[in-house]
Amino acid sequence: MITIKVPKKPPPSLLTVLGYPFAIIFSIFAFFQIGFNLEDFKKNLSNRRLVTDTLFNPKWDWAIENATMALVETIQIAILASIIGCFIALPLSFYASRATNQTSITYYIYKSFLNFIRTIPDLFWAMLFTVAVGLGPFAGVLALIMFSMAIMGKLLSETIDSIDMGPLEAAKASGANQNQAVFTSALPQILPNFTAYFLYIFELCIRASVILGLVGAGGVGRIIETQRIFLRFDRISPIIVFILVAVIAIEQFSVWLRRKIL
Amino acid sequence: MSIPKQPINQRILKYTITIMIIIGSIWSASGLEITPERFLTAPGKIWILVSAMFPLDLSTEAIERIVPKVAESLFIAWAGTVIGAIFSFPISFIAASNVSKNSISKVTKQFLNIIRAFPELILAFVLLPVTGLGPLTGTLAVGIHSIGTLGKLSSEVIEGIDEGPLESIKSSGGSKINELLFGVVPQVMPTITSYWLYRFEINLRASAVLGIVGAGGVGAELINQLRFRDFPRAGTVLVVTILMVLIVDTISASIRRRIIKGRTIKV
Amino acid sequence: MIKFNNISVTYPGGVKALNNVSLDIEEGDFVIIVGMSGAGKSTLLRTINNLVKPTEGEVIVDSKNVTNASKKELKIIRSEIGMIFQTFNLVNRSSVLKNVLTGRLSQVSTLRSILGLWPKEDKDIAFESLNKVEILEKAYVRGSNLSGGQQQRVGIARALAQKPKVMLADEPVASLDPITSRVVMKYLKQINQELGITTIVNLHFLDLAKEFGERLIGLKDGELVYDGKVDDVSDKDFENIYGRAIKSTDILGDNN
Repeated sequence: MITIKVPKKPPPSLLTVLGYPFAIIFSIFAFFQIGFNLEDFKKNLSNRRLVTDTLFNPKWDWAIENATMALVETIQIAILASIIGCFIALPLSFYASRATNQTSITYYIYKSFLNFIRTIPDLFWAMLFTVAVGLGPFAGVLALIMFSMAIMGKLLSETIDSIDMGPLEAAKASGANQNQAVFTSALPQILPNFTAYFLYIFELCIRASVILGLVGAGGVGRIIETQRIFLRFDRISPIIVFILVAVIAIEQFSVWLRRKIL
Repeated sequence: MSIPKQPINQRILKYTITIMIIIGSIWSASGLEITPERFLTAPGKIWILVSAMFPLDLSTEAIERIVPKVAESLFIAWAGTVIGAIFSFPISFIAASNVSKNSISKVTKQFLNIIRAFPELILAFVLLPVTGLGPLTGTLAVGIHSIGTLGKLSSEVIEGIDEGPLESIKSSGGSKINELLFGVVPQVMPTITSYWLYRFEINLRASAVLGIVGAGGVGAELINQLRFRDFPRAGTVLVVTILMVLIVDTISASIRRRIIKGRTIKV
Repeated sequence: MIKFNNISVTYPGGVKALNNVSLDIEEGDFVIIVGMSGAGKSTLLRTINNLVKPTEGEVIVDSKNVTNASKKELKIIRSEIGMIFQTFNLVNRSSVLKNVLTGRLSQVSTLRSILGLWPKEDKDIAFESLNKVEILEKAYVRGSNLSGGQQQRVGIARALAQKPKVMLADEPVASLDPITSRVVMKYLKQINQELGITTIVNLHFLDLAKEFGERLIGLKDGELVYDGKVDDVSDKDFENIYGRAIKSTDILGDNN
C-alpha cells in the first residue's frame, strides 16, 4: 500500500498521438496505391532469368572498347561540376548563415535561394539544361553544379552556424570590416569541414553523373540507356563495376587525405 | 630578427592540392569541350526556357494528369522509406561492431556497402523486367537502396553510444536483450528516427526521377512535356513538384528538430 | 556476507590490478575503501558482481560462489547486488521512472518490459525507492534534465529498486560538489542503517571517509594495506595507504 504522493503521468505529446496513427495509416494507404498484384508478379517473375543470365555475365572487352571514352567523360563532368559548384557555394554559405551575415534581407535571399535549389532533383535540372543549352555534357555539368551547390550550401551553412564567434568578434573589435573578419577568422575554422564535404560531394557527383546520360546530358548514361532497352545487362554490369571501383578509390583517397590534413 | 616561415610540409600540401584542382578543372573542361563563353551565354538561354514556361498550364486537363503522378511519387518515396527503415533497423544492430562479433559486423557492413553503391535508377531498371512497369518497381528500388544507406548510418549511431548505462543494467542482473532494449535503443532512437525522416526527404527527389525509366512517379511526365516542347505544362509539373517537396521538407525538418530536442516536462 | 579468497586480477596486457587480496565483510557493514587512482578499488568492487572475473581466487557472496557461477546463477546474484557509478550511468533520454524501473528488469519478463507493461508491484517499488531519496516528484522528468546530485540519487533509487542485499558504490561522489557529496553519502549511510544493506563505497576523499565511514579498507598497488575502524585511523596510516604525504586534492573540504 502506498501512502506517498505519486506524481501524475504526463499526457503523451501531440506528436505521438497524431504522428504514429498517421504514419501507419498513410503507409497502408501508400502501399495500397502502389498496388501489388500477385498474378502479374508471378508472371513476371519468370522473366528474372532474363536479368540474372545477363547481369552476372559481364562482357568486359565490349565495355572497355565502347565505354571507356564515356566513362572518362563521366568523371570529367563530376570533377568540373563539383569544383565549380563547391567553390561557388563557399561564399554563398557565409551569406546564408546567421553567424556571419547579420543583414536580414540578404540572409533570407541567399538562404531561400539555397533551399530552392535543393528542391529540384538532379535529373530534373539535367532535363531542363538539355533543353536550354542543348544535349551533351555541358548540360550535365550545369546540372551537377546546381546539385553540388545545393548540398555544399546546406552542409556548410549549418557548420558555419555553429562556429566559435570569438575570433570574429576579436577581428571586428580591432577594426576589420565584415568581409575581412569573415575571411580571416571564420573561413579558417571551417576549411577542414569544407574539404571533407567537397570530397563527399565529388563522390556523389560521380554517381549522379552516371545517370545523367539517361536524359542525354553526357557521360556513360547514354550507353547504359541504349543497352538497357535491349536488356543487355551483360554490357551494363562491367560499366557499373568500373564506376564502383572509381568510387571506392576516391573514398580511400579521401580517408587518406583527411588523415593527412587533420 | 628572423621571421619563421610556415612549415614546409603544410605548404607543399596546400600547393599540391591547389595545382591538382586547377589541372583537374582544365583537363575536364577541355575534354568536354567546355569554354568559359558557354558559361556566360548559359544564363541567357536558361532565362529563355523559364520564360517560355509562363504562364503555367493550369487547365483541368493538365492538373488531372499531373497531380496523381506527383502523389504517386510521394507514395513511392514514403513506402520505400518504410521498407528501408523496417529492414535496416535490425540489420544495423548486426552491423554494429559493439553489438555483434567483429567478423559478423564486418561482413554485414560490406553487404550494406554493396547495396548502397547502386543508384536507385539502376536498381529500378534492373528490377523492371521482373516487377514490371509502374510504382512497385520504383518502391522496391528506393526501398533497397534505403536499406543500404540507413543501415550504415544507423550502425554508426549504435557504435557511438555511451556504454555506461549498459554496464549498470548488466550489473543489476539484466540480460543482453535488456541491455539492448533499455540501454541502446533509448539512446539511438531519436537520431535514427531523424535519419529516417531525412531519408524520406531525399527519397522524394529520387522517386520523382524514377518515372523516366517507367518506374512510376512524375519524372516521365516532365520529360514527355519537355520533348514535346509543351513548356507551360512542363512548368506546371515543376512547380507542383517543387511545392510538394517544399511542404514535405518543412514538415519533416520541424519534426526532426522536435525529436532531437525532446520534451520538457514542468514539475 | 562477502568473502574475498586470495583474489588476484591481471588484466590482458599484463597490468596486475589486484594481488592476493583476502577479506571478510559482515552483513550490515558499512565499508569504505580508499587508495590512490589505480590502486585497485574499482577492480575489487567489480569482482563482487563478476563484472571483472578474477584471474585467481574466488569471491563468495551470501554463501554463493560468484566467480564460478553459471550465467543463470550470476543473473540472480547480480539482481541482489545494487551498484552506483561515478558517471551515474542513467539513460539520458529516458525519464527518471524508466531509469529506476531498469532495476526491476531481472524480475520482469522480457515481453512485459518491452511493451512497458510493468506489474503494479514493480511500479510501486520504483516509486518507493524514489521517495526514499526524496526525488519522487521528478519521476517523469528526463534524466539529462537533472543536476549531477539529483542524477546520482536516481542511481541510488535504481539500485534500491532491486531490493538488494548488497550496495556497491564506485566513486559515487567524485563528480559532485562538497554539499551534494555529503547529501549522497548521507543517503547511503541511512539506507545501510535502516535497511541493513551491506554497503561498500570507493572514495578518494579522506575527510569524507573519516566523516561517514565505520570500517576502512586501504588498497595500495593492488594489495590490502589497511583494515580497521575509521576512528583508529591516523594521518600516518593514510600516508602509508597513499605512499606519499597527503595532498589538498585528497580532501573534499567545505567549499571547492
